Amino acid sequence: MNLSFGRVFTRETMVNLLFVLPSLVLVGYFVYVLIGWNIVVSVSDWRGLTPSYNIVGFGQYITLFQDPVFLTSLTNNLILILLFVPSSLALGLFLAILLDSKIRGEGVFRNIYLLPFSLAFVITATLWAWMYNPDVGVINTLFQAIGLRFLKSGWITDPNIALACVVLAIVWQFSGYTMLIFSAGIKSIPESQIMAAEVDGAKGFNLYRRVVIPQLKTPALSAFVVLMIFALKVFDFIYVLTGGGPAGYSTYVLPLLMFRETFLSTHFAYGAAIATLLFLLVLVIVVPYLYLSSRREKD
Amino acid sequence: MVSITLENLTKMYGNTIAVKDVNLQIKDKEFFVFLGPSGCGKTTTLLAIAGLIKADAGEIWIGDELVTSAEKGIHKPPQERGIAMVFQDYAIYPHMTVFDNIAFPLTISKVKKDEIKERVKKTAELLGISQLLNRKPRQLSGGQRQRVALGRAIVRRPKVFLMDEPLANLDAKLRVQTRTELKKLQLELGVTTVYVTHDQVEAMTMADKIMVLRDGLVEQIGTPDDLYNHPSNTFVAGFIGSPEMNFIDCTLVEEREKLCLDAKEFKISLPAETFPKLKSYIGEEVIMGIRPEDIYESKSVKGTTQDNAVKMTLDLIEPVGPFLLLHLRAGRIPFVATVKQTRAKLGQEVVMEMDFDKIHIFDKKTAKAIL
Amino acid sequence: MRIPNPRRIFLYILLIFFAFVFLLPLWTDITTSFKSIHDIIYTIPVEPPLSPTIEPLITAFNIMERPLLNSLTFTAVATLFSCLLGSINGYALTKIRFRGANTMFLLFSIGIFLPYQAVLVPLVLTMSRLGLYNSIGGLILTHTTYGITITTLLFRNFYGLIPDSLIMAAKTDGAGTWTIYRRIILPLSLLPFVVVAVLQFTSIWNDFLFGVTLARGSEAMPASVALANLKGTTEVNWNVQMAGALWYALPVLIIYLVLGKYLIRGYMAGAIKG
Repeated sequence: MNLSFGRVFTRETMVNLLFVLPSLVLVGYFVYVLIGWNIVVSVSDWRGLTPSYNIVGFGQYITLFQDPVFLTSLTNNLILILLFVPSSLALGLFLAILLDSKIRGEGVFRNIYLLPFSLAFVITATLWAWMYNPDVGVINTLFQAIGLRFLKSGWITDPNIALACVVLAIVWQFSGYTMLIFSAGIKSIPESQIMAAEVDGAKGFNLYRRVVIPQLKTPALSAFVVLMIFALKVFDFIYVLTGGGPAGYSTYVLPLLMFRETFLSTHFAYGAAIATLLFLLVLVIVVPYLYLSSRREKD
Repeated sequence: MVSITLENLTKMYGNTIAVKDVNLQIKDKEFFVFLGPSGCGKTTTLLAIAGLIKADAGEIWIGDELVTSAEKGIHKPPQERGIAMVFQDYAIYPHMTVFDNIAFPLTISKVKKDEIKERVKKTAELLGISQLLNRKPRQLSGGQRQRVALGRAIVRRPKVFLMDEPLANLDAKLRVQTRTELKKLQLELGVTTVYVTHDQVEAMTMADKIMVLRDGLVEQIGTPDDLYNHPSNTFVAGFIGSPEMNFIDCTLVEEREKLCLDAKEFKISLPAETFPKLKSYIGEEVIMGIRPEDIYESKSVKGTTQDNAVKMTLDLIEPVGPFLLLHLRAGRIPFVATVKQTRAKLGQEVVMEMDFDKIHIFDKKTAKAIL
Repeated sequence: MRIPNPRRIFLYILLIFFAFVFLLPLWTDITTSFKSIHDIIYTIPVEPPLSPTIEPLITAFNIMERPLLNSLTFTAVATLFSCLLGSINGYALTKIRFRGANTMFLLFSIGIFLPYQAVLVPLVLTMSRLGLYNSIGGLILTHTTYGITITTLLFRNFYGLIPDSLIMAAKTDGAGTWTIYRRIILPLSLLPFVVVAVLQFTSIWNDFLFGVTLARGSEAMPASVALANLKGTTEVNWNVQMAGALWYALPVLIIYLVLGKYLIRGYMAGAIKG
């Protein structure tokens, strides 16, 4: 490559750049330009249907933190992270270990557990709405039929447990994915290590605890990041399952708030501010992760 | 007193034989080697002794205990056999320090912390890796990792060591060094050891006794000496010893009251002592075997009239350190001889003699007749 | 893991229990889609229909026919475009040495994690200015663009495995950049294309946010939005709703059954959902 030392833009380079130009333009515009534009909107005074770009400073952001609905949404997102992420990881790990036991029909079980993950959130939310319906829904009628009436509940109509119901449903959807990631991790451990551990006296639970699980840090981390980001971005599911209710805002989350404020209430600047905040939250998780994984690639 | 006995051990995978009818006796403190090419079943046998795979037929005793019996449905799990194993890829745990790796079997058996510390330290000292105790495996070289694997095996004071090609992943120089160290270690510790390898040099230098396997069947069991000097068939004869033994197809004929090996291009007369054993083979086709080191330049004046002399043409000289490899030809039959020096030139005709004591004769169908 | 025998029964019980849990909602989807109103009143959801009928399926299909067609169209086209562009980008990032390759890759990677709310407002404005609001074209453009971020990553990973020596040999044989792509990279790309295409198809088909923001009008409404609307209607005819969900799920279910293993490979290659 010393040949083109003085000439940065050789003909070859130009032709090569042509390859990626369309993508660069598209991504450059639709990601970065639009992010910037959104930030601009967030510091403007645009309310109502006609765009307006008078810059008025960070007022919107201040309003955000005084808005109880915003605070509820933020709290709900955090609750989601705290409940949903560890549960999915734990269940996925558990299933992966179960499947590691030389099961007959391992592939069938794996495909069953993974199926929900492939379905759209709109579908699964519709299904769970049916599950959770207190009058004729699947769960309550099932409890009734097998004599467990006392377990019946209002589920998503009960503001106190609605969010927990949401968490359960999304754990159901994502556990197949975490199981898959952990399974791949477990399979990548050489058989000789397992044999060595067995010869040395480790069996069953002990074997997993001391030899297998400690080596699952990398897959766990990548699954963790995916789940965290989902917990922040979740929109489709809640929109369809609960619409943010019951009792007003009990299952509101930031993306839903943003959507309603922007497209229903036409508070565009406010909505843009929420969106920017959301973006920053995601960056906080993604940037360190990308940095860590690119460093690991160099090892 | 830890001996190991295998009786009619058989293991199949579907319709493929992994090993069949292995019978052997390993004495207490013996260094016993399973030798053979890839896929011959040596690792399978080792894993069966370890209890990591189940036998389809046959029995295994470790010490006085029957640990495996396919017929009686007995299979003691590996954890309870008192064995320690070293794997080809070392199988050390990447997420634990060297200390924790070596301590692992002791932690599992719930040995007291102080005792663990002491034993690990002693073992590390023995292997010269004391300074590495706090490191993680990825910071170690191949040779160091191998010692950690050894340390983990030794620290338990097992009844038996099982080793599956532990030197295979080391570079050549390190391999030779470690070979000696391993052997010394074994003598010092006095533990019965079963060692698997495909490298016949390793086997010959380290073993008290060797079992040669091919395609799941036992070819021969004996001391290195036995295998070298009295190979029971052409496979063992060709496998052991480098460069490989010369094999020549001949017919055993009787000429003027002497037995001769007739290879069409040349004839060798055999001494009278060989008569009784070879009588039944007269007129039969046999295979003559002679090692390169047992062929030498004739110094006698008798030339080719001597019973064991053959005239050959010198095609190529390969210098191999302390000696020379001569590639010769008698007519169209190739020979390789190892000599210390020669004055012969390429293309020249040389008279070579074969050491009578070292001629091997094999039945064409793989049996063997005499030395 | 070698578990002793009596415990294996417990193991299978656990596995079957979870299989039941994971399949329950789908099972009731199927049973409910075939129930008449009468059956809905007189049976509980987990029970199969007393007298199965395809009425709900027909009703649902009538409502969702156009949206399903819309979805099929823009999903297929956007999948094709995003895969092609991703493949070219992957090739460029791994086999063409150009400055800024790593930066470009990093910038694209952030695009994978982007919460789309952060660009939604300007996106709507852009689409309306381009006259693509409420149109299939707008959805194609959107999905292709955001799809490029992940398809590039996946193709980059695949092409990284092709030995450089292959490229060097081609160059010494006189092949130019485009020729190398056409004659060497592309023929080797069958498997990656299937994996990425399956992943993209599923992910674009399942999208809701872009649909509900950019295409609420009936001309271009995707099936996801139609289903959500179905759910939102006040007369809750569960059998029609479930039937609608079944229709919408159908293509993905088919892909899962036939090409499932490719989809799984896609998930493991670092796919991010949502």
